[in-house]
Amino acid sequence: MQIYLPIAEISVNVLTLIGMGGLVGFMSGMFGVGGGFLMTPLLIFLGIPPAVAVATEANQIVASSVSGGLAYWQRRAVDVRMGLILMTGGIAGSYAGVQLFKLLRELGQVDLLISLSYVLFLSIIGGLMLRESLNAIAATRRGQPLRARRPGAHSWILRLPLRVRFRQSNLYISAIPPLMIGFFVGMMSAIMGVGGGFIMVPAMIYLLRMPTNVVIGTSLFQIIFVTASVTILHSVENQTVDILLAFLLMVGGVIGAQFGAIVGQKLRGEQLRALLALIVLGVGVKLFVDLISQPEELFSVTRMGFGG
Amino acid sequence: MKQSFRHWVTLALLVFAASSSAVHANTIVADLSKDHISIKSNFAGEKLLLFGAVDTTQEGPIEDIVVVLRGPGENFTLRKKQKKVGIWVNGAAYNLGPLPGFYAISSTRNVAEMAPQDELIKLGIGTDGLEMNFLSPTLNAAERREAMAGFLRLKQARALYAQEQNGVKLIGGRLFRAEINLPSGMPVGTYVTEFFAFQNGRLVGYQTGELPVDIVGAGSLLHKAAYEMPLAYGVFGVVMACFMGWGVAILFRRR
Repeated sequence: MQIYLPIAEISVNVLTLIGMGGLVGFMSGMFGVGGGFLMTPLLIFLGIPPAVAVATEANQIVASSVSGGLAYWQRRAVDVRMGLILMTGGIAGSYAGVQLFKLLRELGQVDLLISLSYVLFLSIIGGLMLRESLNAIAATRRGQPLRARRPGAHSWILRLPLRVRFRQSNLYISAIPPLMIGFFVGMMSAIMGVGGGFIMVPAMIYLLRMPTNVVIGTSLFQIIFVTASVTILHSVENQTVDILLAFLLMVGGVIGAQFGAIVGQKLRGEQLRALLALIVLGVGVKLFVDLISQPEELFSVTRMGFGG
Repeated sequence: MKQSFRHWVTLALLVFAASSSAVHANTIVADLSKDHISIKSNFAGEKLLLFGAVDTTQEGPIEDIVVVLRGPGENFTLRKKQKKVGIWVNGAAYNLGPLPGFYAISSTRNVAEMAPQDELIKLGIGTDGLEMNFLSPTLNAAERREAMAGFLRLKQARALYAQEQNGVKLIGGRLFRAEINLPSGMPVGTYVTEFFAFQNGRLVGYQTGELPVDIVGAGSLLHKAAYEMPLAYGVFGVVMACFMGWGVAILFRRR
């Protein structure tokens, strides 16, 4: 069954979209990662204009982070004060990201910005995940427990001025690092259509030294507001949010995530993580190959004033 | 069923009109199978039937018929990719327009054989006449040709530009019909239909009409809202997402 997407301006099969949402949702539920960094490239491969894919995916992530974050909220595993500070930085970052996006869109370079950001981040994340999971597999084979590594935090960063007490995290640190981390992730969110949890969570653990039990809940908490801000800003500045597309992805995504979480609890992690790492790397490689190989058609056309 | 009945009535009237007005200056009468196109959410393209009748003149029966369906004019930005530091990036940008967002032409035979080239360009028949519409004046002739060819390739690939040399069928020397494919990515707006009858290289009959194309239903509402009240549209997207996420979380908790 074909459906005409009013903003993307193409017809796509409904079941393909719901299926994609379900698959990515399932994986994100199983691995405990957001699905944005897989869904946005998949939408682009499907033929959705990249600018629409990014903005629409931000809208979908609002739904998946609300549904995921609710459980942490009820368990009180959210550091609200930290979340609000990250969110403040994040909303500012999303504003900067959307403005950059708009500027490059007018110059016809936004597709390049999106592709390059993805190639960069997917190869870094995929590479790190693969290394981590291979180490874990090797450690299990040797019968050794894997010790969590905690690189020395640069504590002077945390001792900058504007110190705030975070009761939930049992920290008394400067608000500047979380503001900056929030800003960076907010910008990424606007440019790539991701929640940014895969950057936010390690940053909270290793840079801010937050206790792990509040990290995911706090990350999800601020992702809700930052992706909401990205959705609204892209709607206003670029008119690239396709609500119908977002809705169909949500239907598949939120349901897939629930089943993924159930399955994820029953399966052993390391092999699956290695698989996810390979998928992430594969998508990155595909985007990279698309950038370096000569396109069949050198020309592209848009309505004047619509850069992407 | 109802629609095809309507066609036959129209066609019968057309034949009557054509045969009764022997001294009438216009020798072509035509109509479409639809008076408007509605792009619904399940729109996956459709066929438009264009049909009518031609008179016989003193010089004999008319055999050269051209039908044109032209979408609303728009300005386009055409970009050409170049290799820079190993990757393909958008380089030169040309602005062109106004050019039709949709252009389909169908004829009984190759239009070049029907009338002189300058006459065809003057009448806007065929894509050759579009070449004049460059907004970037700095291009040389070769660059213009290359860019225009690229533009036409892109439009043809999405079935937005189409040319069929034997698409118009003449029936009994008097009735004619042609089908034009309307693809799912067609732009909205008021389209123009044109019917030309040629005889011995001269235009002997002409008729024009309009065909409105718009998005209807939920898609139309969303499209309108996105462009006309973007803030409310974005907020709506967020609110919907919150309810969806919340609803599903509740649903799965209960089980």
